[in-house]
Amino acid sequence: MSETAHGGNPYKIYVWTWVALLIITGAMLGAESLPMPRWFMVVFLLAFMAVKAVMIGASFMHLKYEKTNLRVVVGVGLVVTTLILFFFIAPEAAHVREKSTIPMTAPAAAPAHH
Amino acid sequence: MSHGENAAVMEAHWGGGAAPFGASWQKTMMWIFIVTDGLLFSGLLCGYGFLRMASEAPWPDRAVVFKIWFIALMTFILISSSATMGSAVTAAKLGDKKKTTLFLVATILGAFAFLGCQAYEWTELIHHGARLTTNPWGAPQFGASFFILTGFHGSHVVSGATILIITLIRHLMGKTPAQGVEMAGLYWHFVDLVWVFIFTLFYLV
Repeated sequence: MSETAHGGNPYKIYVWTWVALLIITGAMLGAESLPMPRWFMVVFLLAFMAVKAVMIGASFMHLKYEKTNLRVVVGVGLVVTTLILFFFIAPEAAHVREKSTIPMTAPAAAPAHH
Repeated sequence: MSHGENAAVMEAHWGGGAAPFGASWQKTMMWIFIVTDGLLFSGLLCGYGFLRMASEAPWPDRAVVFKIWFIALMTFILISSSATMGSAVTAAKLGDKKKTTLFLVATILGAFAFLGCQAYEWTELIHHGARLTTNPWGAPQFGASFFILTGFHGSHVVSGATILIITLIRHLMGKTPAQGVEMAGLYWHFVDLVWVFIFTLFYLV
């Protein structure tokens, strides 16, 4: 394993990653008490979520020591597929919402049967 | 670069062979499993996004529904257990049996602590009237999103805890090599990784 080959404390990387993840989580939890627009807070949270995911993948799952093609298949594969899925269904969600908020008109009176 | 040289480079990077990813077949298979399982969760999260965006009724206020400090505690437990799992993998690679056992036990305790917290959270919400199709706080789709997302994740925590217990027993019997601990670790880190997304997208946004 590369991280143990250079000497030093081999467990240090996990301690640092753990501390960094806790600090980021704390910042995410504290973000709502700050006066910032809703859209900015969402972007802030998504950015920190991505940072946490990369840290777990790279340090805990040792992806930073793997070959580039494995990293590409795992990272890009998952991210691109999720984005495609999301951006295909997001406009449909807006459409469904728009449709559900159109006021229903009273149905025309049915002709009387004799 | 000539066509032949280019083909040789492409073959070196993307060709088949015994180890196209420079990893053992066990690790390659585990990564393929993780990617496919990750796609399951990405589908569930996209479905949740759809329900939330399409919802006519207002989405429940998370500050009213959840005790955020309690969710933060669950996150702390899972992140900490991931750190102990990484340490167990390193200890196993270094051949330190005592530390491997210690870190594996700590990870298993973390798994059960998380499951206990989740059971408490589910019980609280069900007690307050949350169901798959209805809830007292707002959009009815909230209940289905919550129970399906956290339920699927919880089932993965149960699987992870089971795998870790089997790994620990086999490790104590001297039957699990370092790579076995590493495979169990990859799965456990994946469980932690999924929680990062659920925590942010469901509990914070």
